[in-house]
Amino acid sequence: MFREWFNRAPAFGLSLFTPVYYEHIAYSVYRAYTAFLLAVLLGVPIGLLMGWRQRVYRYTFPLLEMLRPIPPLAWVPLAILMLPGIEPPVIYVTFIAAFFATVLNTLLGVLTIDRSYFRAAECLGFSPRNVLLHVVVPGALPFIFTGLQIAMGLSWFALVAGEMIAGRRGLGYMIFDAYNMAQIPTIIMGMLTLGLLGYLSSALVRRLGRALMAWRSL
Amino acid sequence: MAQPLRPLARRLGQLARSAAVWQGLAGIALFLALWQIGTWLRLPMLRHVPAPLDVLVQFATVVQSRQYWLSWYVSGQRVFLGYAIGVLLGVPLGLAMGMSRIFHGVSFPLVEVLRPIPPLAWVPLSILFWPTMEQTIVSIIFLGAFFTVVLNVLGGVEAIDVSYQRAALSMGARPWHLFWRIVLPATAPSIFTGMAVGMGLTWEIVVAAEMIASIQAGLGFMMWQAYVGGNIALIIVSMASIGLAGLLSSTLIWALGRRLTPWLRRT
Repeated sequence: MFREWFNRAPAFGLSLFTPVYYEHIAYSVYRAYTAFLLAVLLGVPIGLLMGWRQRVYRYTFPLLEMLRPIPPLAWVPLAILMLPGIEPPVIYVTFIAAFFATVLNTLLGVLTIDRSYFRAAECLGFSPRNVLLHVVVPGALPFIFTGLQIAMGLSWFALVAGEMIAGRRGLGYMIFDAYNMAQIPTIIMGMLTLGLLGYLSSALVRRLGRALMAWRSL
Repeated sequence: MAQPLRPLARRLGQLARSAAVWQGLAGIALFLALWQIGTWLRLPMLRHVPAPLDVLVQFATVVQSRQYWLSWYVSGQRVFLGYAIGVLLGVPLGLAMGMSRIFHGVSFPLVEVLRPIPPLAWVPLSILFWPTMEQTIVSIIFLGAFFTVVLNVLGGVEAIDVSYQRAALSMGARPWHLFWRIVLPATAPSIFTGMAVGMGLTWEIVVAAEMIASIQAGLGFMMWQAYVGGNIALIIVSMASIGLAGLLSSTLIWALGRRLTPWLRRT
């Protein structure tokens, strides 16, 4: 397997020295990060709003709980029908996976903030904007980053499955294609590459979290 | 017989009077109404998607067919088998890794290398490895549940306050006591968290595996067939069924966890 991986002239056409391998990686990374960023940009504000404003919470939480149990991968056929092209369905499925984890953890983070902080802020005459910036966001940040780590793991998980079912390029497709042609070294190569990318992505999120929450590492 | 019914009736009455329930229902109703109006207006995204009422009609017909309930049974059986093996192996392994430093040193790097590989990336290799498709699917489900459980249990053991162990040891506790009186009760909440999270994952895996591996029955297969056959209302019915199945199993695990860890205060 390693001989194949590090071979300049691989028997099955894929190794560290072929551009196609990097093309698969680039597609997967692009899809995973696009979906992840979308999930963060939408999920964190929604989660913050749901935790902060009880009225929003009451109107939206049951709806969220109704849609959440549907596994992201069960969205695949509907996503193919609803969205045009090849890229949007795969990204959408990956997005769904990351979105719910982000919203729920952010919401949980806001709900665990001690009520007395809100009262103190009110007594000191904070405007809603300042409450959001100085109480809600910092208080929820540890949970947000837990959520982001989970979301990152989930988005890689959903991405692989999405690519296997509906992709044209990417590592999931590469694995499945290799399977169809019985190229076992390439399968294992794809798996290890995925593991490595997933691990690096989680490490990145963790590092970012540590940098943004300097007060916790004391 | 009537005794347990009365509190239930009272609780239902309370629910009907609380504003939160009605607001939640209003949110869901708004979502469904937007969906219905969207299909009437033929929005580009919803061009192929049937209205909620059509889905409801489809659901009413499907519920009467034997095939539908067979799909439930087949998928449920796969999930249960893979999940049970994952929990039965994962909990002891997580406990052992948390308690023995040597064992942790030997096995943790291996777990960390294999864990980031998404379960579904194992599908092709498992198909080649296992003789039947059934075993392949169960083994993939097993992998999904296994790593989640191991990591949660390990985290639970590592979070135990060392002073408990010191106190027990200074009072002459044996390793066996340490395990039954301290490690296991302290880890129980993490075990159940891991089990619940793992359960959520297993339903997702079974669906994907059934779609990829083209096996002859199951909820995922039903959905894929509906997709191939162009019956979009049936796709949505399948999605809802899978969601419901996952929800029911997770609720079961949480209820079990609550029963077995009664000392925890729940909010």
